[in-house]
Amino acid sequence: MTDVLDHILTGNRHYRNQTLTHDPTFFDTLSKGQSPSVLWIGCADSRIPETTICASQPGELFVHRNIANCVHAGDINAASVVEYAVTHLKVKKVVVCGHTSCGGAVASLGDAELGEVLDSWLHPVRELRRKHKSELDALPDDNARAVRVAELNVRQSIEVLRRHPAVRRAASDRGLTVHGLIYDLGLGELRVLEESGKGKGNGLWSPN
Amino acid sequence: MAEKAQVKKYLQESHDKIFENNRKWADAQSAKDPQFFEELSKGQSPNYLWIGCADSRIPAEAITGLGPGEMFIHRNIANLVCNVDLNAMSVVEYAVSHLKVKHIIVCGHYGCGGVKAAMTPQDLGILNPWLRNIRDVYRLHEKELDTLEGEAKYDRLVELNVLEQCRNVMKTAAVQKCFAENEFPVVHGWVFGFKDGLLKDLKFDHAATLKDIQKIYNLTS
Ligand SMILES: [Zn+2]
Ligand SMILES: [Zn+2]
Repeated sequence: MTDVLDHILTGNRHYRNQTLTHDPTFFDTLSKGQSPSVLWIGCADSRIPETTICASQPGELFVHRNIANCVHAGDINAASVVEYAVTHLKVKKVVVCGHTSCGGAVASLGDAELGEVLDSWLHPVRELRRKHKSELDALPDDNARAVRVAELNVRQSIEVLRRHPAVRRAASDRGLTVHGLIYDLGLGELRVLEESGKGKGNGLWSPN
Repeated sequence: MAEKAQVKKYLQESHDKIFENNRKWADAQSAKDPQFFEELSKGQSPNYLWIGCADSRIPAEAITGLGPGEMFIHRNIANLVCNVDLNAMSVVEYAVSHLKVKHIIVCGHYGCGGVKAAMTPQDLGILNPWLRNIRDVYRLHEKELDTLEGEAKYDRLVELNVLEQCRNVMKTAAVQKCFAENEFPVVHGWVFGFKDGLLKDLKFDHAATLKDIQKIYNLTS
């Protein structure tokens, strides 16, 4: 079992040496502070390391990850992240990223008990499924349904974000924008969620 | 007006950059291993659950050299694990009961803005209830912390906060029950330092702590 742990500690030493060979002052600069331009809200799923899939550098993305990338109204954990990122760090964009083959979305297609805590957490996602029953029923299979639920859930999270006081203020004061993405696990690709009828034609999906 | 157009242009560019980078990364992975994404889309069985700070400077997988599929991740302000927080609690439950992770790592970092904010005598609105948990850690370790000053005091509070969150992880039914049955997950407390880019193991004693907390928090039966 310690081997598994050594694996990361060795990885860390490797990362550090590599980074310093590249730029001897890298960590020194990092230690002075952060000014990320994006708040990334993604799934806890191990297959979507945001910094890796976006080929980003440390310091670029402020990150919140939870089960099925949910932003529930009344969740103080996510609300604190949003407040800190938007009001204090002044990020320019908030991104909610869902994904295909999401365990949370798949579990939300049914009502099987997963444990009281998880069931409470996923309740709003299961509600979305009930609300969109006829649309989901018309889809060919559960894979397609799970992708659609993931999309609906990203939209739902964006609706909650739009009503966050800090987001509202920053959107009107300094042009903060909110975006929905879906990461296709089978392709390794991000795609922007376009909202039908409201697309701005510039490739960005912005509800504002 | 000109300024507004410029801001818009900048926003578009920084947005495009993410997609451009993503495309490049996906192409490189496929070139290395054509089955890479197909395999990933079949499922995940990570060995680790990482509970870390939302701070942009600490991308968990990057600093540990792990690839996609290896580590389940929760990140919030100041890596807190609060017992009434459904968000973090559902992550722990899923990782332990469903994914059967072997290790849970709570990782804090020196220079944490959340810890600094918590110790600032100021009304921070919606952040108050969240940051209150850090003030409570201070109160638990007041004697020790009051012997320290300046940076040393903050650094120690960062470490003590990690150790308290490790304890909080162990107070959950999911962790206690799984451990009683399988002898995993094992909980670890680490701190990342920007000065050297290294992870410091705080040597959190899983076995001793479990025994200690179960006097009051035993949820195994
Ligand atoms: Zn997911
Ligand atoms: Zn922090």
